Amino acid sequence: MTGSLTHTGQALGAHAVTLTFGGVTALDDVSIHVGHDELVALIGPNGAGKSSLLNVLSGFYRPKAGSVSFDGHDIGKWPVHRIARAGLARTFQGTHLLAHMSVLDNILVGRYAHMKCSLPSAFAYFPFAHREEVEHRQIAEEIIEFLEIEHVRHQPVGTLGYGMRKRVDLGRALAMEPRVLLLDEPMAGMNGEEKEDLARFILDVREARHIPVVLVEHDMGVVMDMADRVVVLNFGRKIADASPRAVQQDEQVIAAYLGAKA
Amino acid sequence: MDPSGIFFTSHGSDRALVRTRPQAAALALLIAALALAPLVLSERWIALGYAMFIAMIAVIGLQICTGYAGQVNLGQSAFMGVGAYGCAWLLHFPQMPVVLALVLGGVAAAIFGALFGLTAARIKGFYLALTTIAAQAIFYFLVLNLPGEWLGGAGGLHLDNLQLMGFSLGNDRSIYWLTLAALMIMTTGAFGIIRSRHGRSFEAVRDDDVAAGMMGINVAAAKARAFLVAAFYAGIAGGLWAIALRHVSVEQFTLFNSIWMIAMMIVGGLGSIVGALIGTILIQLAREGVVSLGPQLVDLIPSAGQDIVFASMNVLLGTVIVLFLLFEPKGVMHRIEISKRAYRLWPFPY
Repeated sequence: MTGSLTHTGQALGAHAVTLTFGGVTALDDVSIHVGHDELVALIGPNGAGKSSLLNVLSGFYRPKAGSVSFDGHDIGKWPVHRIARAGLARTFQGTHLLAHMSVLDNILVGRYAHMKCSLPSAFAYFPFAHREEVEHRQIAEEIIEFLEIEHVRHQPVGTLGYGMRKRVDLGRALAMEPRVLLLDEPMAGMNGEEKEDLARFILDVREARHIPVVLVEHDMGVVMDMADRVVVLNFGRKIADASPRAVQQDEQVIAAYLGAKA
Repeated sequence: MDPSGIFFTSHGSDRALVRTRPQAAALALLIAALALAPLVLSERWIALGYAMFIAMIAVIGLQICTGYAGQVNLGQSAFMGVGAYGCAWLLHFPQMPVVLALVLGGVAAAIFGALFGLTAARIKGFYLALTTIAAQAIFYFLVLNLPGEWLGGAGGLHLDNLQLMGFSLGNDRSIYWLTLAALMIMTTGAFGIIRSRHGRSFEAVRDDDVAAGMMGINVAAAKARAFLVAAFYAGIAGGLWAIALRHVSVEQFTLFNSIWMIAMMIVGGLGSIVGALIGTILIQLAREGVVSLGPQLVDLIPSAGQDIVFASMNVLLGTVIVLFLLFEPKGVMHRIEISKRAYRLWPFPY
């Protein structure tokens, strides 16, 4: 699965990206690169452009200038579903789960592009569609077991609590067998215990799959413990890109978070 | 939810439609009863039976498009018309076998429907509803304005002496069995589609099309596919209707029929195949009741007069539907699911 990723130094990158909404410049000439098997954390004060950058990387926003490359391809003009099928999976700030569907079906939706049955064979169902369903159910069950959500697998996602939903969101992204994982504030609004659980899952994913992860997060403790590298945005501009330790001592970063000295 | 004490040991049996032995027995009994019914029923009930079966097929298609994929569809009746004309034409001119003509009529309707599905990729809600009404207009316009030799113009096409595997389709009983067989195949097929990746992609598009795209689902293609399935079902239903009446004309496929089908789907419950079947039965029975009760009332109260009684019966039917939507907006199926759950959990609250 890693294939060509191991030959290039960079799995995912944005180059001199500028994004505007009307008169507001959300991102101003931002470049970021993510190496293979690297966890990059994206931080910054509210409104700094973290989510915007993640949306540009996943193809949801089209930048006004600059380019986005994934696995050596310029994906700037690809439709969203093609980017996803190429192996770029993401979770959402808040959640974009399918509320009326069960946990299991949500995760199976992540398998969509890996399944092949056509409409006529789905109409007939036996034997091909059935065999495929059972095969992919097995994969979905492995993810459910990994995330420890067996007991809710048949429940509609809309009835679950916030922490559980975030887990399902992660599970659905994992079901896509991603080559890069983008996590948009996966721990927002969680209590300490839930945060620890999710952090453990993310670390386990890295260990098992060796895929790069981009993490947008507000909790500094989490970021400093988990990240290999930290990118700091402020007012749409990149102000730092270094190891967690170096970033903590960076004058510009301190100024951005605490306000500059008069 | 399954009754307590029932467990499955393979993913295959967990996904099965008929999950326990009693269920299988009940289903077999139901099918046997339906198949044997025409031997004892009167002509009128047989005719009502196959009219219901045909409507059910079309409403299942609508359910997949609107209930599962969330795409408003007011063109179902026009899609039925395309299937009816396609099937009738193939039976009339090249004199194809009945089953082949039916399937090809369905395919013709599916292609017509998918064209409208492509517009659903770009527009939503009210605007989509308007676009699907255009299907109705186009259907009318084409049939009435094409040369009369092609589709019969305003007079329509007649079908005579149809046969299926040596049996004449000239009597109501054989039509009943043909439509029952078709309904069983189409219902099983619908369950297949909604259990497959396509069914999940429909529901994903309905619940959150942004997330669906990010999960690798081509949202535009999924919407077009939903319309394709709906129109295929409508086309099969239309073909059966043409065979049953041995005649097709444009007046059989009005916008009003599409609206009735939406009423059937909503009364049964959105997002449920069984709901589509139940809703169709309820609405068809109610309409039939109004039709048969009308003359009796006129006899009873001669002073009211025929016009007033028939008009007020329709008002009554409309009122019943409105009240139903107010008090049971999620449909009959939702209520059934709740009762089933309560029954299985009893005497515990959860």
